[in-house]
Amino acid sequence: VPNRPHPILLVDDDPEIRSALTDLLTIAGYGVLEAANGQEALDLLGRPDEPLPCLIVLDIMMPILDGWEFRRRQIADPRLASIPVLVVTADTTAQRRPEARSVQSFLMKPADPDALLQAIGRYC
Amino acid sequence: VTALEDAAAKTGRPDLPAPASEDVFSLLVQSVDDYAIFVLDPEGRVASWNAGAQRLKGYRAEEIVGEHFSKFYPAEDAAAGKPAAELEAALRDGRAYDQGWRVRKDGTLFWADVVVTAMHDETGRFRGFAKVTRDLTERKRAEEDRLRLARAEAELRLRDEFLMIASHELRTPLGALRFNLASLDLLRKREQSGDSRLERAIETAKNQVRRLSTLVDRLLDVSRISTGRLTLVFEPVEVVALVRQVAADFHASAVHEGSTIDLVLPEGPVQARWDALRIEQTLGNLLSNAIKYGRGNPIRIELAADDVLARITIADAGIGIAPDVIERIFERFERAVAARDYAGLGLGLYIARHLVAAHDGRIEVESEPGRGTTFVLEIPLAGPARTERSEEA
Repeated sequence: VPNRPHPILLVDDDPEIRSALTDLLTIAGYGVLEAANGQEALDLLGRPDEPLPCLIVLDIMMPILDGWEFRRRQIADPRLASIPVLVVTADTTAQRRPEARSVQSFLMKPADPDALLQAIGRYC
Repeated sequence: VTALEDAAAKTGRPDLPAPASEDVFSLLVQSVDDYAIFVLDPEGRVASWNAGAQRLKGYRAEEIVGEHFSKFYPAEDAAAGKPAAELEAALRDGRAYDQGWRVRKDGTLFWADVVVTAMHDETGRFRGFAKVTRDLTERKRAEEDRLRLARAEAELRLRDEFLMIASHELRTPLGALRFNLASLDLLRKREQSGDSRLERAIETAKNQVRRLSTLVDRLLDVSRISTGRLTLVFEPVEVVALVRQVAADFHASAVHEGSTIDLVLPEGPVQARWDALRIEQTLGNLLSNAIKYGRGNPIRIELAADDVLARITIADAGIGIAPDVIERIFERFERAVAARDYAGLGLGLYIARHLVAAHDGRIEVESEPGRGTTFVLEIPLAGPARTERSEEA
């Protein structure tokens, strides 16, 4: 199992999905940070002691701060702007929105685990 | 005292223009065909009858004069005292209105609109009741049909909403389950467990979850279609590659059923502007049907295109579809075979037809029981003429 210095930040409001995916990613050898919405994700990224993630796996429809708004604020922060984002969403129209151009990769929910691991492998 | 004044006095309404003469007035009442107009004596027995009454209620005057009018009510209404209550109300208030079911001579029911007026003579003595009845059965039925239709539509909407919510809700745990199974699979490979049953159990579970996911996705598609929330994305796509891809995706399952997939493709590329994922889904659905019902015979996929249209043919030499069900196979929850013989919800072709129609295309089927089934899709290469898309609500 490779040991990677940079974790993956997983942002999804569904705790079941989060824990199942965290298990899969840790078994696959990744470190994982979890956040239940965009605000929690920003709070995590704001901690100076934590290494920045190699990739943010981002849900769109979330309470408090949704995925698009999170991405807007992430890009506005020079320290965070370069972290790539993989959007995983059930919203079939998400990929056509203008905001979609600001993210690196897309997967439809429910995501196929192999496809997801493959996509993650391109960044981490 | 003229005849007119006399008649006016007898109606007890000197403010109304009086009839020309009692004879003419009587003739008028007699001949009115659309309204039953008759008199009840103070006890409620029929005392006169007209053409309308005969037409509405079915009795001739000699059959009914002298009979109590409770005969016109359904038995349970008569038993509940409704006839007496109606007369009491007319006596108390001068007149009474009622709508309700009444019985014809032949026992059939009609929806009656009734006015009962208490009649008093010039001395103020109570003489009986004037009864005017209209048959509003058709209006009532039309009203009931409208209500029934509205109720049915509301129920359909409710069901579609339910389907939408249910399939969304089902997807989340399925998504988590897929991750769990992938985890198990990774762990198994790492642990190198020698027990082949573990591998088989995980593989089976993965396949079952995939199957469940497909079913849930179809339910979601159906609810999207029926609530008008199906969203397509039209983008450039090369059709030869698309058809090759679908055939490759189903190669293994065709081999498993003993079928081959023979491709007949044009030499050069075919450019279209379609929702590639949705057309791939449609072709995949037709191809999986061909494999499922193909009895292990070869399956042929043929693509032909001119400047305007792509024609894709998917033909199997399997069990075929009986003529009496072939008209219905594109309907929701319809299937050409008994559910106990072949699993599935019967949604695939319904979705396929809608996806093709959303491209301004059409899908046709020809089949002969025992000989096989051929589906032909014709889809404009340019996609639908109207390209503005319905946004997801």
